[in-house]
This record gives sequence, C-alpha cells and structure tokens, in this order.
Amino acid sequence: MKRAIILVVNGTEHSVEVQPSDLLVDVLRDRLRLTGTKKGCGTGECGACTVLLDGKPVNSCLLLAIRCEGRQITTIEGLGTPDSLHVLQKAFIDNGAVQCGFCAPGMLLSAKALLDENPAPSEMDIRQALAGNICRCTGYVKIVKAVSSAARTMSGAEGGGR
Amino acid sequence: MKKRGKGIACMFYPIGFTSYPNPGSAFVKVNQDGTAVVFTGATDMGQGSTTVLAQIAAEELGIRYEHITMVTGDTEKTPFDLGSVASRVTYIVGNAVKRAAHEAKRILLEVAAEKLGVSPDGLCAGDGRIYIKGLPERFLEISEVARIAQMGKGRPPIGSGSFNPITTFLDPETGHGKPYGAYVFATQIAEVEVDTETGVVEVLRIAAAHDCGKAINPMLVEGQVEGGISMGVGYGLFEEMVLDNGVVKNPQFTDYILPTSLDMPEIRVGIIERPEPTGPFGAKGIGEPSLLPTAPAIINAIYDAVGVRIRELPATPEKILKALRETDQGKA
Amino acid sequence: MNGSAIGVSRPRHDAVLQVTGRALYGDDYERPGMLYAKALRSRHPHARILKVDTSRALKLAGVKAVITAEDVPKNRYGFTHLDQPVLADDKVRYMGDVVAVVAATSWDAATEALDQIEVDYLPLPAVFDPVEAMKPDAPKVHGDSNIVSHIKIRSGDVTEGWRISSEIVEDVMRTQVVEHCHIEPHAALAELTDDGTYVIWSTVQRPFLIASDLSRILQYPMNKIRVITPAIGGGFGGKNEITIEPYVCLLAAKTKRPVKMVLSREEEFCGTTVRHPYIVKYRSGVTKDGKIVARQVEIISDSGAYVSWGESTLSKASIHAAGPYFIPHVRIDGYLVYTNNSIGGAMRGFGVPQVGFAYECHMDNIAAVIGMDPLEFRYKNLLTDNSSLPTGQVLEFVTLRETVRKAVELVGWKKEVEWE
Ligand code: FES
Ligand code: FES
Repeated sequence: MKRAIILVVNGTEHSVEVQPSDLLVDVLRDRLRLTGTKKGCGTGECGACTVLLDGKPVNSCLLLAIRCEGRQITTIEGLGTPDSLHVLQKAFIDNGAVQCGFCAPGMLLSAKALLDENPAPSEMDIRQALAGNICRCTGYVKIVKAVSSAARTMSGAEGGGR
Repeated sequence: MKKRGKGIACMFYPIGFTSYPNPGSAFVKVNQDGTAVVFTGATDMGQGSTTVLAQIAAEELGIRYEHITMVTGDTEKTPFDLGSVASRVTYIVGNAVKRAAHEAKRILLEVAAEKLGVSPDGLCAGDGRIYIKGLPERFLEISEVARIAQMGKGRPPIGSGSFNPITTFLDPETGHGKPYGAYVFATQIAEVEVDTETGVVEVLRIAAAHDCGKAINPMLVEGQVEGGISMGVGYGLFEEMVLDNGVVKNPQFTDYILPTSLDMPEIRVGIIERPEPTGPFGAKGIGEPSLLPTAPAIINAIYDAVGVRIRELPATPEKILKALRETDQGKA
Repeated sequence: MNGSAIGVSRPRHDAVLQVTGRALYGDDYERPGMLYAKALRSRHPHARILKVDTSRALKLAGVKAVITAEDVPKNRYGFTHLDQPVLADDKVRYMGDVVAVVAATSWDAATEALDQIEVDYLPLPAVFDPVEAMKPDAPKVHGDSNIVSHIKIRSGDVTEGWRISSEIVEDVMRTQVVEHCHIEPHAALAELTDDGTYVIWSTVQRPFLIASDLSRILQYPMNKIRVITPAIGGGFGGKNEITIEPYVCLLAAKTKRPVKMVLSREEEFCGTTVRHPYIVKYRSGVTKDGKIVARQVEIISDSGAYVSWGESTLSKASIHAAGPYFIPHVRIDGYLVYTNNSIGGAMRGFGVPQVGFAYECHMDNIAAVIGMDPLEFRYKNLLTDNSSLPTGQVLEFVTLRETVRKAVELVGWKKEVEWE
C-alpha cells in the first residue's frame, strides 16, 4: 500500500511515495539520493544514520518515513556546503575529527542539536550528547575537541555561526 | 570502594609484510603550470595516508601541498600497490612517491640548470621554485621550468618510483632471518579506577609515547594513536564476539559493546622522532602499533589497583568481581 | 622560504567532502538498472552439501539470477593456502559459508528469495575448541589434520637458560574473538561494460589484491578488471581480502546488469573474518638481579574454518612473542588450528595484540615474583640499539627506553623512577 507523503528535508518539500514500512534512512538515501546519511547497523546502535527531526537527533534507521510527514528533517546536506561550511564542520576539519568520516554526518548532527540547546557545553556534556554515535576510528578525542572549539567560536565575537 | 592503579606496557612492531615482498609504486607528473599529480594504488581507508603521501610529494618536488592532486585506489589508473595493511603505506608507498617525485624533479633541475648556468646538482627545489643551493635569490619558478621542460625542450617532467623493503624469509626450523625493514616502538601507561563493589573499571588516563620515525603529519599521527587506544580499551574491557557451537550469539552492537565517547580516558600522546634512515624523510608508521600496549597497560593497572590478575580478555566486571572474591577467600 | 611540507598538521585531503556528506562510500554508488544481491549462508557449522535447488527462488517476481558453486570458474582462494571456496561446494565449514547468492530488482525481493533456495545438508561432527581440534581423533575440517602450520623460532638454548635462572615463572593467557567493526559495512558494485571490462567499486584496503584474486577466480584477464575504491568507512584489516566481489561480478555477467551487494551488520559479525583468539603459554627464567635469561612460548591460534591470513598472522605473532626484551635463550612454537568457528583474518596488529597482552601481563607477574617494580624490571630488559631479536635480526635504532621515559613524563609513575 503505497502512499504519497510530503517530507520537508533541509527546508525543501519532497513528495515521495512510500510503503508504510519504509524507513526514513532508506527514503533519504535511495529515493531522495541524500546519501550523506549513513547506515552502519540498522538497529539504532551506531548513530551513523542520525538526522534531526524538528531539531532533535533521531536514528533514521528506526524511524518510519510516514511518521515524519510535515516535520522538519535536517540531514548533513542541510548543515553546510563546501562553499559555506557550518562552524561545526569547519571545526571537525581543522581539529582532525574525521578519519574515515563514516560517523561524521551523524556526529555533526548530534553535536548541532547539543549546541542549539546548550551553547556552552562542558566536556562531559559533549561526551554525553555524542554517546549514541559510535566512532571506531578516532577515539573521540578530536571530535570532543572540535565540538568545544565550535561552541567557543559560535558564542564568541568571531561570529560565523549560522 | 574505588581503588586506583597504574599499569605499563611496552611494545615493538614492524612496518610492512613479514618476509614477503610488499612493494608500493607511484607515478608523478608535473603540469606546465607547476602543479602536480601523483598516481598510486595506495588506498585511504580513513587513516590519512593520501594526505601524508601528498605532503611527501610536495616536499620532494618543492611544490606547495595545495598544488598536489592525488589519484589513488583505482587499479586501472594507478600503478601497483600491495595495499593499506601492515602499517606500511607511509614507509613503503611514501618512499615510492618520493622516488617518483625525485625522478620528475630531476628533469626540472636539468632544464633549470641550463638556464641558471649551474650543474643540476647545485640546485634544489622548494616553495614552488628551483634555486641555487645557498643562493635562494637566484631562482626560477617551477611553473616556468615545467613549461620550458615540456613545451620548449620536449621533456615532460614525469617520474615513476617503487620501493620494497629488504627482507628475507625465515628458516623453517630456527625462525632465523630478516623479516622486516623497519621497527617502531612504544610505551603506554594507564591509570584506572576499579570499583570493588561492581567490578567496573574506569580508565582515567592513558599516556602513549610512540616512536614513528618522523611525524609527517602530527595531527594524523595523534589521531591514529587516539583511535588505536579506543580499540585497545575495547579489547581490554568490553569487546567479545561470543561463539556457541559456531553460532555468533551477539551479532549486533546491542550486545557487542564498543567504546563510546563516555568510555574514553584522557589521552596524552607523546610523539618520539628518531628518523629512520630508510624511511621517507625519516618516517616509519603508526597505524597498528597504537593499539598494542593499551589492553595490557589497563590489565596491569587493574592488578596494581586491586591485586587481581585477569588472564582472559576482556576484563569484564563479572571476571573482576569473581577474581576479587577468589583473592578475598584466599586471604581468609 | 616558508618551509617544509613535512611535520605539518594538515587536515585530511577529503575532509570537506566528509563533513558535508558528499564523500561517496561503497553503498552510495548506483548504476542504472542496478540489481541487489543477498547471500544465503550455511545453516550448520559443519555439513556436507548434498543438493542445492534454486529453481523455486528463480521463479519469484523480481529475481534475476542465483549463483552457486557451479558458477564459479576457480572456486578456491587464500593467500598462503588456497582452501576457501567463493561459494561452498562439497561442504560448509562454518556458519558464515555462503552457499548461494541471489540478484533481484530490490533488496526485499532478494532477501525473500533466500528462503526459497533449498539446500540438503548432511550434518557432520564439528569441532570448536582448538585444543580439541589438535587431537588426532578430532573431526577434520579439511584433509586429515587440523593443524595447519607450526611456526618455530629458536635462539640460544632454553635448557641452559632454565639452568642459570633463579626463578621460573609460568602463565597461561587467553584472548577473545573480536570483530573489526568498521562502521561502514562491506559494499561492492560491479558492472560489466560493453567492452567486456568488469568495473567494481568496492570498499577494500587492497584493490590490487581484489583484482588479482578476481582474475584467478573468474579466469579473466587483469586488464579487463578494474577495481575502484570509493571513500572507505574504516577497515582495520577487515577489508583486507576478497569477500563479496566475486558474487557481484558473477551476477553482473549472468544478468548483464550492474549488481550491488552490501553486508548487514549481522553478516559483518557472522560472515567476515575476526581477530584470532589465542591461547598463549609463557614460561620465563630470570636471574636474581632481574635479567630475563630464557623464555618459552607456545601459541595456539584458532584459525576457524579457513586459513585466510592465519599463517602470516601467527608468524608475526611468533616473531614478536618474546616481547621487546633482550633474552638470550628463546623457544617459540606457534600452532595454527582449523575449527568450525568464524575465520580469523587480518586485524590491526596482526597477532601481536594477542601475544602483547600476554607477554606484558607475564612481565608484571615476573616482576611481582622477584619483588621488582614492573617499570624498572622492563627498563632493565628492554631492547636497546643494536640488540638482536630471536630471529637473529639486529635492530640498529631502538627507542624503547625513550618511550618509557616519555610516558612517565606524561602521567608519572607509581614512584620516583631512577633511570639507569
Ligand atoms: S544505522 Fe541507525 S543507528 Fe546504526
Ligand atoms: S571516523 Fe571512522 S567511524 Fe568515526
């Protein structure tokens, strides 16, 4: 039983036909070709598929696409672009917070949700906010550093926050 | 009660395959505007080798890093490489890239030598220029030299290079031979806190001192060490794929436990640089060795903290509690 | 001169693509008309395959092809031992063995078709404990012995070593099975182009090994096989050998359409290589002043159903089993043993983390027996410049002592250390 729904992704409305059982991650990746959202486990454990739903981080591999109708979905493609990077993206690059990069989209969105809520997080706040995003490569050190440096940049006079 | 302890572990680890030849190779071409392209089969799986290889090419050619393009991981477009394994890419492919770049540079130096009226050996390359050794004010832009070489002299500045560490096979009876070209060394010290009620271990701090010959890119070296430590923390404390009559009992991250951001200790990395004469600019490798000392350092720290010796990895709270009870009974 | 490109902390070359979600990993590739492949794995850890019937599966809507062992031109691969089938033929030897692979127009159609493939098995006695597997009467995984290799390293004379020791300390240590857990699962996409070239996008650490293995398995010239590595989401040794590439190639040839395959997380655990579990026995002799004079090591490595990188891993482990210490009398024996468990393969550290855990814990135990500080005990015995290893290799430059001093400088030690 296919149904046409409207998904609002990164501010743009997309009309897609979905099965009631279709997961958001698959609709984003396969139908909208927004492949920045990654799939590492499909069981809600790794956080690679994290997107923001009305600003809150969710595992899109556990979420039915039809449940997202009319909500604001933010994927990594909506965070910033190569010409106009988000402060967090810039901080991830400069601090060496990406190695294989497979966890990065999910990490960045979890970090964005944190900073939206708490502009001056402690190291523990950051570690807690990222605890659902597994990184097998970096040991998290540089990721935590990148998030706190982004927080400082965004709250500081440097501006540049979007 | 929470008890603290410190443990130490040392290690040595070789770079490259055991005994088997494991060559890497590269092509380099300098374009007539002074930019360059490096072709190599080496593959970056996240460790940062492509960046490091570009730095090596930039240094050897005297061209800015931003002017280097890397073509990697395509068996049709690049010359052979054995692969991103055995912590070998910086050392082996790095040497291959350096040799290829050197060959291309040689053409540039010969062309420049004619113009500057000196012998090619009296020249060097750096900052996008070719200049007379000791007289940097007498120079030519590499872009100009490359254009003359290619379009004026008909000598495109290209080079190829390969490298294979000198090794031998081991005698099957004695195990004697020279299986590796270079070695790296490290020591880690772990500080842990063990909760004697729950058996839970918190790793508070790890100091990791690693010799990698020369850190071509210190941030990437640190990243390898930190990532290796997280894998070592998992190996020491959490991870185990349980097999029961050949059937995997925990084939999901739900119950195969990987370290998260909350499980990682404070990490202090110390890079030691004693240049390896056979390495590119003295570099060796860092990928695998970073994880080796972590688990034993933690297990030894647990021993120091609470006096129990874990002999089977991982050191789960259950195993620690059981061992604590046994030592208590031993004392009673 | 604004200086060198060396010693500079540059961000990764592709970091901008990674953080903006634009880097393309294995599963991000797509080709027009692409099919999706799923594997049917064994139901038994050890069984003879009597019959594979794919006819029912082939009749399902959306199913375009099914391959079995008969479709593979050369059905064995392996680095040191050609013992592993691309698709199981005579037997299955562990739960991860693949018996058939389906290509269909959707993931769902391919998955549903797996249930319709009928395989008749004759279950065989299996062996899961490597120590049991070494016994002559154990069920055999291949041929007539489960002991695949015995690696020997000898230096000096351990009998003499025991004689001059004032204490002898013994330990047995065990390590567990772990998985690489690169967050990106294996993914491969193959297309057979009009000029007869296989183009394969695959998340591998060794594209050239994949190309040469494919050339042999498919009996196809290497200049008509092009392996491209997209962005790779971690490897750690887990993407160090051929896995699903032959399937997508064979299916692409059979269907004349591009075919993609991606492993599930569960398949990553159950059907790919793992870090070998080791049982390691240490026996060391020390003199009164804390010098290690003899060390004997026995390693038993569970290879699982096939050798994969087991022999080379064990050989690296054996070479390093004495630890970074100068010990005149050394005897090391490593045994690689087949079982019906998951296959041990390459993983970051390649055998050395297993023995490293064992020798470093053993070192602490010896220090405790002789009443010496573990750090001082190590420092006294560490290799230094021009030390020779049990292999006879002489290491010209050794910075072990520097690394100890540096680590102490970073976090301190339990007590003030007086450096020799
Ligand atoms: S893919 Fe959704 S949490 Fe892992
Ligand atoms: S960078 Fe590879 S998983 Fe995080």
